[in-house]
Amino acid sequence: MITRFITEVNTRFNPFSMRSRATRLFLSYLPPNARATGVQINMTLLPRASAEPSTLSVKFKDGKELKLDGETLGIKGIIEEVDRHSRALQKQADLADG
Amino acid sequence: MPPRLTCSARSSIGRALQRTTASSTRIPVLVAQGTAGVTSRQYATTGSPVPLAGLRLPDDYIPPTQPPSARRPEQRKAQLLRAYTAMLRSTPLILFFQHNNLTAVEWAAVRRELRAALAEVPPPVAGPDGVVPADISSSIELQVLRTRMFSVACKIVDYFKAEDQVHKSNAYTHDLSKTAYETIKGATVDESSTYGQISPLIIGPVAAVTFPSVSPAHLAAVLKVLAPSPPTFPAPTRRKSPGYHDPIAQSGFHKLILVGGRIENKAFDNDGVKWVGGIEGGLEGLRAQLVYLLQSAGLGLTAALEGHSKGLWLALEGRRTQLEEEANGGKKESDAASETSA
Repeated sequence: MITRFITEVNTRFNPFSMRSRATRLFLSYLPPNARATGVQINMTLLPRASAEPSTLSVKFKDGKELKLDGETLGIKGIIEEVDRHSRALQKQADLADG
Repeated sequence: MPPRLTCSARSSIGRALQRTTASSTRIPVLVAQGTAGVTSRQYATTGSPVPLAGLRLPDDYIPPTQPPSARRPEQRKAQLLRAYTAMLRSTPLILFFQHNNLTAVEWAAVRRELRAALAEVPPPVAGPDGVVPADISSSIELQVLRTRMFSVACKIVDYFKAEDQVHKSNAYTHDLSKTAYETIKGATVDESSTYGQISPLIIGPVAAVTFPSVSPAHLAAVLKVLAPSPPTFPAPTRRKSPGYHDPIAQSGFHKLILVGGRIENKAFDNDGVKWVGGIEGGLEGLRAQLVYLLQSAGLGLTAALEGHSKGLWLALEGRRTQLEEEANGGKKESDAASETSA
């Protein structure tokens, strides 16, 4: 997963729900030095009884905010969506550098 | 065409031959049959020269088709499963943390700070019977779980009861047995059961802090370090433990998320775990509160029951002294006495 262009990750999930699985796994896909390189990661854990859906929103360097529904996308779908935008940014960055 | 060898060499040989502890020969003695010098084909049923009782496998015989595992014992799956079931049966309090890509130095820093925080917990005081409970701070450990094995172990602990299998002809009732496998295979997982609630937690990278006994003081110390929440469980101050505010340790703590716990075979979420950690004085404290409650209730009851008789006695006593004062010479002493008794 391309994480260079991510500036902020906001998650909110109930760990006791099977459907929050993809959201939780997304957090484990961020690199070890994510916080050191300026990515802001906010997590909110919901209590066990809450039936709120888990939410995940990712902000990029160009200001775009992706709101992803982990319950339907799955972890592969989330990564695909994030990478789709990251690749466009990567292309722009490469053109600007070159 | 049926296979020439109906079962594995090991089992057939093992069934045919009796093992004795006194065996010293390294080679299977089956070979000794050939020493009879008979050139024609010879079957075991036609009276072999060596009696069957004399044929035995050495105790350390290793079948060539099943060589010993090359993995280190603690990493073998069988051993891992046994270790997890034993841990689940003997550990009343487990906290589950999701760990997101911690580096080795961060793990070292996290463990160091955990150890330091646990060392500051005061040692347990002697109970009313003079027995000092064991100090558990050195046995509280943070370990990374193999989630799939741990999940299976949870299922075995919850659904497989060895006592129920005793009457069956299959005598194997350990956790690695086929009986255990079939039990958990056929079990229907209920959402409200402990396994049903724990299993969503054990997804992705999960580490566990295991406590050998339920001790809210130690739990509070661990929560203060690994999952601080300011009003009740504040993080250690910068002055008191500078190592905690070390950048490496801090980045390690940021990556650990407390997802839940398993206390006395029940699943607890964050708030539940914090509630257990907030019990003042532990189990003894709870007991003391109960005793106080019962005692104060008893005191109130006795006071209420005593009140009437005390009032009666006071009234009569007052009346007696009054009569005595009236008589003043002892003239109506007997009357006063009779009145009092009435």
